[in-house]
Amino acid sequence: MAGSGTAHLRDDDDVLLRVEDLVVEFPLSRGRKVHAVSGVSLDVRRGETLGVVGESGCGKSTTGRAILQLPPPTSGRVVLEGTDLTGLSGAALRAARDRLQIVLQDPISSLNPRRKVRDVVAEGLAIRGETDRARVRERVDEMLRAVGLDPDLVGDRRAHELSGGQCQRVCIARALVLEPQVLVCDEPVSALDVSVQAQILNLIEDMKARYGLTLVFITHDLAVVKNVSDRIAVMYLGKLCEVGPPDELFARPAHPYTRVLLSSIPELEGSELDVGAADAGELPSPLDPPSGCRFRTRCPRATDRCGAEEPQMRLVPGNGAAGASGHHVACHHPMTADAGPAGDGAELAETGAT
Amino acid sequence: MPEPLLRVDRLATSFPTARGRVRAVDGVSLELAEGETLGIVGESGSGKSVLIRSIMGLLPPTATRTGEVRYRGRDLTALSPAKLRRLWGTEIAMVFQDATTALNGVKRVGVHITESLRRHTGLGRKAARERALDLLAQVGIPDPKRRIDQYPHELSGGMRQRVTIAIALACEPRLLMADEPTTALDATVQRQILDLLSELQAERRMAMILVTHDLGVVAGRTDRVAVMYAGRLAETAPTRTLFGSVRHPYTEGLLRSVPRIDQPSHTRLPAIAGRPPDLANLPDGCRFAARCPHAEADCGDAAPVLEEVAAGHAVACHHPVLARDASLERRARRGKLAVAPAALAPDGAGAPGTARTPAGAPIDAAEAV
Repeated sequence: MAGSGTAHLRDDDDVLLRVEDLVVEFPLSRGRKVHAVSGVSLDVRRGETLGVVGESGCGKSTTGRAILQLPPPTSGRVVLEGTDLTGLSGAALRAARDRLQIVLQDPISSLNPRRKVRDVVAEGLAIRGETDRARVRERVDEMLRAVGLDPDLVGDRRAHELSGGQCQRVCIARALVLEPQVLVCDEPVSALDVSVQAQILNLIEDMKARYGLTLVFITHDLAVVKNVSDRIAVMYLGKLCEVGPPDELFARPAHPYTRVLLSSIPELEGSELDVGAADAGELPSPLDPPSGCRFRTRCPRATDRCGAEEPQMRLVPGNGAAGASGHHVACHHPMTADAGPAGDGAELAETGAT
Repeated sequence: MPEPLLRVDRLATSFPTARGRVRAVDGVSLELAEGETLGIVGESGSGKSVLIRSIMGLLPPTATRTGEVRYRGRDLTALSPAKLRRLWGTEIAMVFQDATTALNGVKRVGVHITESLRRHTGLGRKAARERALDLLAQVGIPDPKRRIDQYPHELSGGMRQRVTIAIALACEPRLLMADEPTTALDATVQRQILDLLSELQAERRMAMILVTHDLGVVAGRTDRVAVMYAGRLAETAPTRTLFGSVRHPYTEGLLRSVPRIDQPSHTRLPAIAGRPPDLANLPDGCRFAARCPHAEADCGDAAPVLEEVAAGHAVACHHPVLARDASLERRARRGKLAVAPAALAPDGAGAPGTARTPAGAPIDAAEAV
């Protein structure tokens, strides 16, 4: 999985956020480094939800944070409405972050336990320089009501007095009070109970509609990502494997890794999409990722070519006009209906991948 | 009728807290036959983990336990700690959710396994080590000779869980209790561990209680399911029967609130409103009534008791519903298969890309194995 390339990026005015060739590396001792994200390119249209799915260690959270410059990436560009955020610092970056907010996985630990709910939600406004206390309070209470909390009941409470679901509502209010354009949700429902998950997913959809948000939704849960997304990107070991619309990606996964992921969904066990459990082998280390395609060490379809040459993003032939669905894959031997299981991928349209 | 392997009768466990007595498990009765798999499903706080710890007798000294736990005819609640210790490992073993804390960080992998082997079976040092290597290979750990002398931190989460499974299986127990064994693991690793448990269980004809919050997991892995809510059983049925005719509104709510891959994107999820009741301050009547869309006035008066509505299918509800979950019913029909078709094989043996059965389509014969 590979691969790099930007063939899947769309060229239109509607793209609000564009990530190009994002690289995030964390230095270790003796010159070694963790290759957390290695050349990921993504784009999100205005009002769209991009789902990023992958297992732990695939770099999905690092990608989400790098979009917010938390920390700024090692290289690559993060362009929000024409402005490259990676070049900004200080006041300019702080101002840009108003337009870009994040909701994290563990709602309880992402709230300061000593602060009251109202103060937590008001903090961003204070940093922005709002000084009119009455207005701030009015704004905060309005936001709390919008996320389904009663400000008179919870406004003066602290995180430990609230349930996990309520804490996540506070986190969403804190992010949205700044009226961002883009909301990055990093596993926002993974720490919640099943019955509360649905409440929060519905709330995020409501907020998206009400405030016209553009979402980047990061999760390991395939059913959740299918539910929330307009477009899905599958990641493995710091690289993108496959990008496409949810229905297409789930019905006709082209990347062998996507297949393995889908086979882990209990409902699909034993169905025709099931390829069995993944190899019990260890995940390769991001300190020393495999050459070529990074999935090749666990891929049953891998050939010599996969070790020698990194696959580039290219279009998967759709049922209709080529490219209409925007389904792209980075694999030398993708699993497509036309190509057959042994297809070497020559049938795939090369779309000017760089 | 022969005595079941395990019979739990009106088991209740409570803990004293500052807010009052928390009744974590409140009158649960169930049975388990030799070789059978029971899934216990519930959200956090439903009492499912306390239930299996109460069965094992693994409770803190402050806990109060009443009721009976009969294992092969013997009442476990009456056994002394010394006698219980002889039972743990050899008859009943447990796999915990978090393998990292279940393992001792300063002991090598091998020591964990040989410790109980030597104590319970009297094997010598060398023979126990041989057996441990054998067990590590059986649970699918590559290169057991190297792994056996490593420490837990040198293993990935999935490998650690395999080690705890090897420990549990070391003395060939008849009953394995698995408490959310895959919740802390990645999706693809979850599948590996569940497949492993199914295989080992079939090989050894071992009974298993699989505790999980995920109804999808129980669909293909269990013979029977018990759904718990606020310390009580809401519904219990053979797995296939349950997904074909869901009767309790809570089970229905749980099933509907989970996003499904066969639904189109942006399908609104019918969430269960509200939160579970405070176990220290339980309402009268049905504990689910406050969140139940079908609740009527009488639900608040008397607590519903578990009543049989069909063979083996019992429901605790005054106004049961009738719902069906087609995709999980299909999954349950496919049964506990562990080995999947090799559709990934590059030689073209499989058929990747073939259309899958559309959601809600009739089940074809090939699927109804």
